[in-house]
Amino acid sequence: MAATLPPTQPPAAQEYAGDEINALVLDPGSYTTRAGFAGEDTPKAVIPTNYGQLSSGEKLFGENAIHLPRPDMEIKNPFNSDGIVEDWETATKLWEYSVTSRLTGAKQTPPNKNGLNDDKDENGDTNMEEQMEQLEDQEKVLGEYPLLMAEPAWNPQKAREKSIEIAMEQWGVPAFFLAKNGQLAAFSQGKSTALVIDVGHQNTSVTAMWEGMVLRKSVHHTPLAGNWLNNQIRLMLSSQQAPLIPHYMVKSKQPVDAGAPSNATYAKFDKPPTDSFRKLEEERVLTAFKESVVQTWPGPNRLESQSGAGNFTNMDHVKNYPPKPFEMPDGWNQVFGAERFKVAEGLFDHNAAYTDAENPAPAGDQTLTSIARNALQACDVDTRPHLMNNIIITGAGSLIDKLPERLQSDLQTIYPNPKIRVIANQNSVERKFGGWIGGSVLASLGTFHQMWVSRQEYEEFGARIVEKRCK
Amino acid sequence: MPPFRDDQIFIIAPGSETTLAQLGLPESFTPARFRLRSRMFPGEKSDEYEPVKIRKKEKKSKPEGDAATTNGEASTEEPEWEEDRISEDGAVWPIRKGSIVDWPCFYALMEHVYNTVNPPFHTPILLISEPSWTHKEYEKVAQFFFEKFKVPGLAMMDSALAATYAYGIPTATVVDVGLEKADITCIADFMRQDIGRSLAVPDCGGEAMTRRLEELLKGRKGFTRDVCEQLKKSSICEILPADTEVPESDATEGASNPAAAASTGADGAAPGQRKPSVAGELPRGPGPGTEVGEEKKLEDEEGVLDIASIVTGGNMGEYLAQKDREKQDKATAKQQRKASEAQIQVNKPARLPNAKRSRNTFMYEDFALHDAMKKAGMTTQGMADMQASLDDGTNKEPQSAVSDKPADAGFEKSDGTMDTSPTGGFRREVEVGPERFQAASGGILDRLADAIHRTIWSCGELSKRSDLWDNMIILGNGSKVRGFKEALLATLQAKYIISPSSATIFTSELPSNMSTPMATGANTPQPQLPGQQHHSSGVNPLLHAALTAQNPQLHPSAPGMPQPHQQSMHSSHGQTPTSIKVAKIPEYFPEWKEVGYDEASFLGAQVAGKLLFIVDGGASKGYMTRTDYNEQGPSGIHDVRM
Repeated sequence: MAATLPPTQPPAAQEYAGDEINALVLDPGSYTTRAGFAGEDTPKAVIPTNYGQLSSGEKLFGENAIHLPRPDMEIKNPFNSDGIVEDWETATKLWEYSVTSRLTGAKQTPPNKNGLNDDKDENGDTNMEEQMEQLEDQEKVLGEYPLLMAEPAWNPQKAREKSIEIAMEQWGVPAFFLAKNGQLAAFSQGKSTALVIDVGHQNTSVTAMWEGMVLRKSVHHTPLAGNWLNNQIRLMLSSQQAPLIPHYMVKSKQPVDAGAPSNATYAKFDKPPTDSFRKLEEERVLTAFKESVVQTWPGPNRLESQSGAGNFTNMDHVKNYPPKPFEMPDGWNQVFGAERFKVAEGLFDHNAAYTDAENPAPAGDQTLTSIARNALQACDVDTRPHLMNNIIITGAGSLIDKLPERLQSDLQTIYPNPKIRVIANQNSVERKFGGWIGGSVLASLGTFHQMWVSRQEYEEFGARIVEKRCK
Repeated sequence: MPPFRDDQIFIIAPGSETTLAQLGLPESFTPARFRLRSRMFPGEKSDEYEPVKIRKKEKKSKPEGDAATTNGEASTEEPEWEEDRISEDGAVWPIRKGSIVDWPCFYALMEHVYNTVNPPFHTPILLISEPSWTHKEYEKVAQFFFEKFKVPGLAMMDSALAATYAYGIPTATVVDVGLEKADITCIADFMRQDIGRSLAVPDCGGEAMTRRLEELLKGRKGFTRDVCEQLKKSSICEILPADTEVPESDATEGASNPAAAASTGADGAAPGQRKPSVAGELPRGPGPGTEVGEEKKLEDEEGVLDIASIVTGGNMGEYLAQKDREKQDKATAKQQRKASEAQIQVNKPARLPNAKRSRNTFMYEDFALHDAMKKAGMTTQGMADMQASLDDGTNKEPQSAVSDKPADAGFEKSDGTMDTSPTGGFRREVEVGPERFQAASGGILDRLADAIHRTIWSCGELSKRSDLWDNMIILGNGSKVRGFKEALLATLQAKYIISPSSATIFTSELPSNMSTPMATGANTPQPQLPGQQHHSSGVNPLLHAALTAQNPQLHPSAPGMPQPHQQSMHSSHGQTPTSIKVAKIPEYFPEWKEVGYDEASFLGAQVAGKLLFIVDGGASKGYMTRTDYNEQGPSGIHDVRM
């Protein structure tokens, strides 16, 4: 009986929670890196993937650091535009930061051993060997937790092997698993057969899953995602001569009439922050715009297509909707009527996109509808009805108002016969972190224990094992 | 019957600078009974810590060359130890920026707290945790408490959440300004929003303000870090609203100042930022803030530097005599000055508030000197003599009676009665110019404002955001500086408030179910008895609807309006904030009201302690019992921590 344990005696480690393993789940994205313990409902650490690099070469991670205007900081991102890690060294540090900053704490040494702060009181004749040991202990940040990592479904073999290498050798995890984030998002909805559409920052991906297995051929991705939408808004705003001044440049603002030039005082910098910093801060404004103004035309049909008789289009219809106002950080404000629909229309209708020299129109097969169709076409014909009935839409980019409705309507037009059902979680947090939550579910399943790639296996077979085991 | 009684609840709130503790909940909640500095001193062995500084005591028999014998003595005879309750030289601070950096020392500190309060055996503990503790660290702390103190029950609560308990509001933004950092937390419906929470925002606490003062006063001699720290804590350090000009004795730059301030309108610090030269130039003319005052300080400073050598050199008597002479001179000089001052000030209001005076003085307690003397092996008697002769504090009284209300009364009081922070250093009067209004001018307000905006903006609960803006809780001892909260609020308002758009006033606000008025005659004004029922039926319903629907926007701060609800309903602005307000704390507790609510987290902890241990009594698992711990181990704390 545990209850009769004398109070002076600590419970033995194997006596409590013996069958529970406290796994870590890491879902690295190109915009945020999500990390947390398996079994929790939201990731406790959500860290921006953008990082700051000072001219001295020092790298700064975390919200607090990267949003501070300073003249010598470049904002960078370890991912390439395809959502694949490019800069492994930084990515490793960033992921480490995301895990240690809020989850495990910097030190993993047991309290009786870590006398690191006492060094100054001793005369420097501490045992070097011991110190080395401690140093090693410190480096193995994740020494005690199995790690489940998410990856994009088109992650190349090299990158996958690199992941397990880092986890095993640098972090010293006891067990590791790599899962595709589409797969995980489906698990978060309790589905094992689904077509997952994940609208992220750099990419929108489509992954078909049949009874827990990802159908490789179905994997498609397109750059039409959150970041692309930001650029659309940027183009639309510049066509309206709207000033895109980020918050850090404004000291104070005065209310002005809609469309009138702003009346604000600006912060002065001896040496202004870098362009990349300004871009990062502008994205904050654009994201606020997306959140509060942008909406997708819910269908049926496209924004430009005719509705009813004559030349009356859907566009004319939305023009009659009450426009929504938006105020810029410097006080400039305007109402957006049809524009707020038009910026998102490009996701579904490549001809409707705003374009300029740097932002060419997307190809016809890049729209969300097209890649969903292509993915379905690539699947076996027998599976299609099941997949169409379980279309899961996830990712923060999908939070644009009415986006799931539009997708449903567009797909219904292409496949009029079988039932199309687009499932979108109503809870915005759960939709944002769908992939991570799926990982949390998976890693805490009792049956998942046998799936882990253990340390021994890794030592025996090397990094290649990841291709065999994590499919 | 609940498992615990009121007088058994033991609350500990560790902080970077001060750890608060209290045993038992009084009838009416009071501020924490124990305030302990969060530091320990390395003990004899490397793993041991002592709560007070212990130094080797010098033997009296060897008066000559004390410093030289310090080393040799230990070997020849048994060293004698002495407790020094004042000094903080060489202390280890286990908590930095809210996270525990030195675990053995943290454990020692907790033990010291526990022993100081000395609770009986059947005492559950409520521990207020710092927001930046990690998942793993919670477990370590829980393990320590259960295994070291054998507590029957342990509850852990986040300090931000505790603050909302004190305020009794479910949705709030808690801005906790601490020593080296600030934590910003969104709480929606008593739920902490972990995603997007700003933890330990650096350079936003009291320390940053001290550093700023140090930077501003760098050009002047005698303003060491310690002086600046105490200046910041004194009541003369103030952050002025944006539209007040920093007082200058002459209109040197004063004329251009208000205009500039109005145009920037940002924060109280803005005008100061453009004139960093102020530190160098002294206003002319008699009265406080003259060359005389400067000289005095300068000389005092040199006194500090020399003192150790004087003491060790053995010519202390001489020095003391000289000091006495100086003091008398000073006193007479002061009287003369005062006379002339009085003449000048006849046509001025006798007691100018701090904000209107270009210079003001505060009392500085010199601990460095204390340390220097202790090190030199001064006897207690010698110290007392020195104190008596050096202490400006004693002859301060007459001056304050004549010129104005003692500027540092607040400081004295706060240090003497509320704090157990050491007193007994050497006090002297220090005079400061307008720099004292610029503690926050180093961009701390902007940084904090940006972090607040970012935090609320990343709160997942979209519909709660306007509530979050309307319930700002600003607390923490870093925000104690006079005018800080107001200045922060002003900064937020100047930068972020979204004004109602002029373009939507009559278009978007019409309720969609309102049809165009038809010529039914229903809207035609009927002849009515005067004074009878004048509204709604008589007014054009469209106009009426437009006006009422628009109301919350036209008057964003109209009181008593069920605003949150309405705002989430109408569609005009998806953006927040349309208004920013500070939450009001219910004033049930007179003791708390007196000292202010900077430590409201502790009040919240008391409320929570009562709720968790007594009202709820463990029915909904508000705390972890010993049995739970034995069954689940340290990781079980995550099920109960809040």
